[in-house]
Amino acid sequence: MKADVLIIGGGIQGCATAYHLARQGASVIVLEKDYVARHASGVNAGGVRLLGRDMAEVALSKASMEMWQTLSDELGHDTGFRRQGLVNIAVDETDLNTLRAREAKMRATGYTHERIIDRGELRERLPHVNPNCVGGVISELDGYAIPYQSTNAFRLAAERHGARIVEGEELLSLRRVGCSWLAQGSSTRFEADTVVNCAGAWADRIALMIGDNVPLSHAAPMLMITARMPHFVKPVVGAVSRQLSFKQFQNGTVLIGGGAKGFADRAAGSTRLDYAKLADAARTTAEFFPIMRRAAINRMWAGFEAYMPDNLPVIGPAVNAPRAFHAFGFSAHGFQMGPVVGQVMADLVLTGRSQFPLGPFRIDRYDRKVL
Amino acid sequence: MQAFDCAIIGAGPAGMSAAITLAKSGACVAVLDQASRAGGQIYRASADSPLPDAHVLGADYTDGATLIAEFERVDITHITQADVWHIGDDGRILFSHFGDTRELHCREMLLCPGAMERPMPIPGWTLPGVMTAGAAQVMLKSDAMVAKGAVFAGSGPLLYLIVAQYLRLGVPVAAMVDTTPRQNYLAAAPLLPRAMRNLPMLKKGLDLLREIRASGVPVYRGATDLQVLGDTRAQGLRFTSASRSHDIAADTVFLHHGVQPNLNMTRAMDLTHRWNADQLCWQVDTDAFGQSSVPHVAVAGDGAGIIGADGARMAGRLAALNILHRLDLLPQEGLDRAAAPDLAALAAMSPFRAFIDRLYRPSDALRLPRDPDTLVCRCEEQTLAQLRTGFEQGARDPNALKMLTRCGMGPCQGRQCGHIVAGLLSDWRNEPPETVGYYRLRSPQRLLTLDELSRFHAIPAPTEATE
Repeated sequence: MKADVLIIGGGIQGCATAYHLARQGASVIVLEKDYVARHASGVNAGGVRLLGRDMAEVALSKASMEMWQTLSDELGHDTGFRRQGLVNIAVDETDLNTLRAREAKMRATGYTHERIIDRGELRERLPHVNPNCVGGVISELDGYAIPYQSTNAFRLAAERHGARIVEGEELLSLRRVGCSWLAQGSSTRFEADTVVNCAGAWADRIALMIGDNVPLSHAAPMLMITARMPHFVKPVVGAVSRQLSFKQFQNGTVLIGGGAKGFADRAAGSTRLDYAKLADAARTTAEFFPIMRRAAINRMWAGFEAYMPDNLPVIGPAVNAPRAFHAFGFSAHGFQMGPVVGQVMADLVLTGRSQFPLGPFRIDRYDRKVL
Repeated sequence: MQAFDCAIIGAGPAGMSAAITLAKSGACVAVLDQASRAGGQIYRASADSPLPDAHVLGADYTDGATLIAEFERVDITHITQADVWHIGDDGRILFSHFGDTRELHCREMLLCPGAMERPMPIPGWTLPGVMTAGAAQVMLKSDAMVAKGAVFAGSGPLLYLIVAQYLRLGVPVAAMVDTTPRQNYLAAAPLLPRAMRNLPMLKKGLDLLREIRASGVPVYRGATDLQVLGDTRAQGLRFTSASRSHDIAADTVFLHHGVQPNLNMTRAMDLTHRWNADQLCWQVDTDAFGQSSVPHVAVAGDGAGIIGADGARMAGRLAALNILHRLDLLPQEGLDRAAAPDLAALAAMSPFRAFIDRLYRPSDALRLPRDPDTLVCRCEEQTLAQLRTGFEQGARDPNALKMLTRCGMGPCQGRQCGHIVAGLLSDWRNEPPETVGYYRLRSPQRLLTLDELSRFHAIPAPTEATE
């Protein structure tokens, strides 16, 4: 099979890149070893968060957030996105000081989307919160989406524009011959002018085939979801200094995250959970929201997630090969960035440029020049 | 933390037999079971029946009391009312016990999860008043409760047994609607001569059928096109038999067309499974001793492949012998010697099993829904038509279809609809069940409150007698 662009990985970054490229007339093949959205893009917590982003990511994340607001209409399929706001709770004066310092930094850069709220407003927004909490910070644009639906919406839109998605096909080898990339899949050979590496927790292996080394690691953040319960909370909820994160979806189910990690065995393709840590997450959740004590947990799981040492993604061109690009290593907060990353990658592939500063996301930022 | 030599999950015929064998050879055993008394589904309340005369349920049932009595005499840690919700292949078991979460460690584990009934997704199967024959058995055994004037529909020994039990108790039965396809009799006929070697089993089955016929209850054969009547609750059953359409009025409709292994534990552990083309169901892949793809995890009884209660006792003993060998409590020669009789007895049962499997093989028309409006997933109310739409949107894998439609995401986590969804996808993709795969089942294996999870305790093994 031949195409202008071969994208490795059918997650949200790969499907969004395929969509933006195909929309502009490029011929695109997406190679996915399992099925679209099988891993982090389909099984993540669904948080669409701009609040509290690393300064290096704010511009991208903010642009992506604007895209999320109308994404379902643009793609022609419901992503499940709901703008509910996101509140990070402060439990004491120390937390408030952290928030004030952050606010000063944001204002200095010209960003105003994060706003500190006092105890009264916190209670108003979160009537069931533990009364000991002293305040927090809110971003009104934030919310949640349904991960699998969102990724699949990009996939269907990409296909509508002619992109070909090949599922169940693993990339075995990749080499540059003349002006082409030759790719050997598990059953088919592919040829393309350009290759884009969106392979998530497997992206370091693809980067190696391209010729770039990268210190990528992987882990398995754990999640729990409850059976439906009466609506008691509108915004997505987090905490400034505690491992707390949950949201109540429209159907009443509550998803509890918080970042505790299980065990990821990439060779075996399986994850295991650390139940003692999940019990901690249960305790923390019930401490902040006593109403959650009776919530019934329906499922617990973990997905493969790729991490860079600085928790920032790799976005940009390969350094050791022409016509190759990377977008991976989102370190458990890439879902929200999917829409904008798709556009950035399409721009890079088609024009070699992006309107966003991508310096902090260079793949060789950890290369040591001298020992 | 101390660990048990072996933890057994499920105290039915397989689990009890295994525990007895293990305990007699000095292994330190924990048995976890959901019920307040041992017995499993088949011998439920056999030791303390609420019925004035439990003999109406048959000798197979009352025999269970003898096994339960023996089980209750041996020296093991029997944890009743334990709701096991996580089994790790590292030997950690988590369960809920009176509102707390408890953790137990073991070197070897034996899963005896038993069977569950095949779903029978005919139009109206989710209406109130529609239950399974198994539910009728539970009501009868645990609470001496019956439904008067019910219709029983489907096929297979368990259906005939409950009808006969109702009749012996003098409970009126509106009709028995037998769906065994006529061609099954022809297909099973060549297997009959070998099955004849197990004459007592064959006779037991024939006696049941004779008992039902003699009672005068209307019996319809070769029934097709079944449909539960009623809008908000069951009011009867419509079907075709002998080329004529029949409506039978009834408040309760009991459906049953065979049992299959309960895969919830074995799937959640990611043990290797294989498709059993004779019984049209998935089952865990084990050796003759029940050892799974994870060496220290064994599975015995109907949960490892349908063999019935007598077979389950043998399988339980065999698994226990192998575990004793793995624990260095039984040398290889001892294992070979002790296992020979049960291995031979199980082999002798297989021709009869093959005959029954062929005779009562469920028809595709009853195994998979046909009507677009029939609900497949009760929890999330997904119909056949909605699943088909999801499939056409590109969700070809059971898990992808689940994520797109929410079918199987509700409180039962696809434990009910998994077989139907996998069957439908196999049909639509025109690929074998092995290629299509199955839902990824995960812990917890039942709903668990945040409160329960937050209270963790460890169960220590009993210490050796001090010397």
